[in-house]
Amino acid sequence: MPTALTNQDAQYLTNNAIRRKRMSRWFYGLCVAIAFVSVLILVVLLAAIWTQGQSRLTTDLLTRAHSELEIERSGMWPSIIGSLIVCFVCALAALPLGIATAVFLEEFKPTSKPLRFVHGFIQLNIANLAGVPSIVYGLLGLTVFVYMFNIFGQIKVNESPGWEIMGAEHYYQVMTLQPGHVVFVPQEDSSVPEIEITEPTIGVDNEGKQLELAVWEPGTPRPKDEATKRRTIEKGAIGGTITRRSWYYFRLPLDKSFLSGGLTLALVILPIIIIASQEALRAVSPSLREASMGIGATTWQTVRHVCLPAAVPGIMTGAILAMGRAIGEAAPILVVLGANVMKSGAPEHLMDNAVTMPVLIFNWAGRQQIEFQELAAAAIIVLLVVLLILNSTAIIIRQKVQKAHT
Amino acid sequence: MSLPKALQSKEFRSTSLGALSERLIVLSLAACATITVLITIGIIYMLVSQSASFFASDAVTLGGFLTDTEWTALQSKELEKAKFGILPLLSGTLRVTAIAMLIALPLGLVTAIYLSEFASRRIRSWLKPTLEVIAGIPTVVLGYFAILVISPTLQFFADGFTTFNATSAGIAVGILCLPMVCSLSEDAMRAVPRALREGAYGLGCTPFETSIKVVVPAALSGIVSAFLLAFSRAIGETMVVALAAGTLPTLTVDPTQQAQTMTGFIVEMIKSESEYGTVQYFSLYGVAITLFLITFGMTLVGQIIRRRFQESYQ
Repeated sequence: MPTALTNQDAQYLTNNAIRRKRMSRWFYGLCVAIAFVSVLILVVLLAAIWTQGQSRLTTDLLTRAHSELEIERSGMWPSIIGSLIVCFVCALAALPLGIATAVFLEEFKPTSKPLRFVHGFIQLNIANLAGVPSIVYGLLGLTVFVYMFNIFGQIKVNESPGWEIMGAEHYYQVMTLQPGHVVFVPQEDSSVPEIEITEPTIGVDNEGKQLELAVWEPGTPRPKDEATKRRTIEKGAIGGTITRRSWYYFRLPLDKSFLSGGLTLALVILPIIIIASQEALRAVSPSLREASMGIGATTWQTVRHVCLPAAVPGIMTGAILAMGRAIGEAAPILVVLGANVMKSGAPEHLMDNAVTMPVLIFNWAGRQQIEFQELAAAAIIVLLVVLLILNSTAIIIRQKVQKAHT
Repeated sequence: MSLPKALQSKEFRSTSLGALSERLIVLSLAACATITVLITIGIIYMLVSQSASFFASDAVTLGGFLTDTEWTALQSKELEKAKFGILPLLSGTLRVTAIAMLIALPLGLVTAIYLSEFASRRIRSWLKPTLEVIAGIPTVVLGYFAILVISPTLQFFADGFTTFNATSAGIAVGILCLPMVCSLSEDAMRAVPRALREGAYGLGCTPFETSIKVVVPAALSGIVSAFLLAFSRAIGETMVVALAAGTLPTLTVDPTQQAQTMTGFIVEMIKSESEYGTVQYFSLYGVAITLFLITFGMTLVGQIIRRRFQESYQ
């Protein structure tokens, strides 16, 4: 026998083997224990939030708005609407852009060297964008969408700067002789902040009906009839400006509107959507592509009619998960729209502010009063339910696809 | 024999028009892809131009920004008394991140080893979704969890913890990063071919030795880049620290005290609704550019590691 084998201490070898086996068993035990820590964390988290918030899961929570005075009956209705509408804008902007980018990167790989470099650069760039903290995207949204680099003039308090493109009508608001009743005079020159009525003019009433306004000279007898009083103005009356905004009111820069919020969120989830769509496209079997090319289809025709339909479930799964991320994202929205949660309903026009669920939760959770803490827990339950619905949709889609492929 | 039907009625459309539309489509797709580059340029331009207004101010110098030990942009309204030294914010960020990494890296790695080497199919089928659920929890929920559960638990077990402290925020951020570390390292380990494991078992290795001495080193590049990703995620994490870490910039190593992080400061500044245009306001961008440089550097290093050291087994 070789000396290496004759010189072995049998006892030592046995002990060593036992020690190593014991070590391995210990490690296995450790693995199991640690793997279950994550489950434990999840259970504790859900249980704690449920016990804290379940007493507040009332219809008030779902139908009413945040209120400082009536904490007992505060609700999250505006934030639910706000979250939905912001995420809608986000999906509208991010999905087409992300899928188009993924298609370009996966299906149109260039062959020439300089173009290949550009291709690789874009790929690297997307990977880096995915690592940028969301709050930096928030600052980007603030600078680009809210202020637009101040190209249109700086945002100031109580002033609407920039270009009003459509949906805004400016009036002067003037008191009539009938106490508490006002009429509106259309504004011709937007730089004049006030008007002094000295002669009869044309105005509109509250419902938007045109009427001829008369002027009453102090000293002459006052009109007695109420209908006349309602369209008569004292001579020298001063009117300040007022703006009526239609739902399609639009201007640049976008200011702190839900559009800015949605577009900022789109920036946040764009890299996620691109990467998920790329993976879905990569999973499409090359033989399908080759078959399509073989019968003479162009690259785009192949993509349009073969690759995209096959990749749609994967893309959808990725998109839904990204939307889940967008709904839960608070930091960028907080930076772009501000921390204000005083909003009583849905946005009224395109430039209107919005509150989202995570921002409301952040606001409530940061307060001292125990009522708001409980409300925060209840709002978290609502948010988690929404996320659960989204995620289970994604899982169902994924499972369907897996079944179809096997 | 007559020709097949498809060939009898040949109606070929003009191909030049088709070629043109193909080109247009490719161009518009390329335009979409360039938008991602524009976003990067936008981020860099924004950070540089806006923080230029910060560094151009007389009250701020680059040296002071990097070495001053006090940060009082929010506390002092007069510009003369305000101190802009990034170190307290940086130390807060690093404290929270270090605690988060202490939680996320070992737990994530061991869970990943378990999932890829030991777990049976049945356990995998519910452990993985659990981790995915944790990964999908909004960060503001974890911040609330830190205040509601982690802080009181810490106070119960040890003295000296304030309600808002670096440890509870760090633990919550660690929970946040755990699924990410786990799934990325697991992917890396599953990519290690079976033959390597079989070789190790054939030499008489125990499962422990196989996973620690063979599989983990073989997947090291993937694991390290997962760690770096988690690190930059923890540095950039906002809502947890804004809720649970406190609002006082402190320059200590004491994890029981408050710690305002860089992201936490940005949120506080936004919440305070300071006037646009003041030096205090622009200090926001000075902090943001520091944050961006750190995370961008981390991701770049991660990419380089992944590309250069990735073992390919094909």
